[in-house]
Amino acid sequence: MQSFRLYGKYLKIHFLSGLQYKGWFLMTIQVLFVVITDPIGILFLFSRFGQIGVWSVEKVILIYALAVTSFGLAESFVRGLDIFPWQMIRTGNFDRLLLRPCPLLLQAAGSSFHIHRLSRSFGGLVAAIWCLRLQEVEPTLLNALVITLALCGGFLTYTGVFILTSGLAFFTIRSLDWIYIFTNASYQVAKCPFDYVPRLLRNVFTFFMPMLVVSYYPAAAVCGWGQPYWKGLLALPAGLTFALFAVSIWRIGVRHYQSTGS
Amino acid sequence: MKIRAYLSLFRIQTIADLQYRLAALAGATTSIFWALIEITIFTVFYTYSDRTDAGLQAGLSLRQVVSYVWLGQLLYLMLPIAVDSEIQAKIESGDVSLELVRPINLYTHWFTKIAARRITPLCWRGLTVIIAGLCMPQAYRFGPPASLEGFLWTLMAIFSALFLATAFGCLLCAIRLSIDWGNGPIYMLVLIGQVFSGSYLPLQLWPQTWQRWLFLQPFAGYLDIPCRLYVGSMPEQAAAVILLQWFWIAVFVILGKLLMAKQLARIIVQGG
Repeated sequence: MQSFRLYGKYLKIHFLSGLQYKGWFLMTIQVLFVVITDPIGILFLFSRFGQIGVWSVEKVILIYALAVTSFGLAESFVRGLDIFPWQMIRTGNFDRLLLRPCPLLLQAAGSSFHIHRLSRSFGGLVAAIWCLRLQEVEPTLLNALVITLALCGGFLTYTGVFILTSGLAFFTIRSLDWIYIFTNASYQVAKCPFDYVPRLLRNVFTFFMPMLVVSYYPAAAVCGWGQPYWKGLLALPAGLTFALFAVSIWRIGVRHYQSTGS
Repeated sequence: MKIRAYLSLFRIQTIADLQYRLAALAGATTSIFWALIEITIFTVFYTYSDRTDAGLQAGLSLRQVVSYVWLGQLLYLMLPIAVDSEIQAKIESGDVSLELVRPINLYTHWFTKIAARRITPLCWRGLTVIIAGLCMPQAYRFGPPASLEGFLWTLMAIFSALFLATAFGCLLCAIRLSIDWGNGPIYMLVLIGQVFSGSYLPLQLWPQTWQRWLFLQPFAGYLDIPCRLYVGSMPEQAAAVILLQWFWIAVFVILGKLLMAKQLARIIVQGG
């Protein structure tokens, strides 16, 4: 309980310090602009080329929007982990965290927070709801539950990626650019209609990093594209498993930590 | 004599950045992955969509798009994604006052540094991306240029694009000099630059009615114009588009210099 209060305090401080800048609202608009422009390529392609078999624009955007919303949530609330390798390990600032009698992951996660990142989730959610309405999905309790759990699972999945990044940074210190494959580049995969995603990619993003489990399967279950509901409900356990796997790597990393910097 | 100072600044920065070879190679994996996904998506549209010939009607075949994507990934590395990190650190820590003491022009000084920073990613990381593109299986391969003449024009356009990206980077620095505004305006401008450079989607595949405007706006010179010259979807106007690039370079340089002079007149140095 105390940890949660501490985390809340962290968020509040970062939020207030962000407001010091005159241009802070522009950041919020900028991220919203990112959300609108990121899928612009796929929208223009659909308008030029028409549908791909059964795949219409709202189907593809729905899957994409679910992945983006999850990513945005993780990026907002555990942003500290995202910049952790650069800000904490390379400078040796991690030593200071070790001295405090509070959970390490929580301190690392709370070391940065930008309210404007939430606009990514906001944009994603609006797009997802719009796509669901276009496909005339019944707003039943079960459907709402599947989508909510999908977002929870997605949040855990992307949090897992950030924890994994930080955990690996204990070993590599620098150069973790390839991790972008599992963050910003991962939801680009969702832009490709699911049936045409190459098998290798489909397996990686289903069985290793469950991006498709938290986006495609819940969407397919809710919209009735021939996937059963139980697969849609797998999102939360899959996300949880991946996050726990990442935490175990992080633990090994912490034990391996030898301090750097001056 | 001053030109020698600028040249050595440029050289020092280039050498310093080129040291991080492994980081560059690791970064290349992201670019390659990104290119492969884009090519997959384009292939799906060009093969299975309702109007498979829509791309050709816009003037781009699938082979041309594939080459465009690879060259685009290379040129994307050149675009400024924020204020140069070193210069930003100086503005935030107050070290900018040290820069002002130097007996050289601040704009030109920063211009050389930013130019070096814009070139270095092209070397290790960019080279890796291009080699990977050349080694891909047929359907994903980075194809040869449309013609020798086109290739020479491409090189010139890339050279101009470098100046364009640098001039834009300097403009960003000049804006960032007003410390109390933060990064908000910068990110906004950077994003607009990225979207309209054609890195999201070749500009030719954007809606037909916007084409004229898209062609004339400054950011096409970053990426779209060199790529078009390479794949040969704009062979006749080559000299004119390079002039267009230089027009926008002049605009960015003049804006940057004016703004910097204005900002320096009432600069706030923070830190101690």
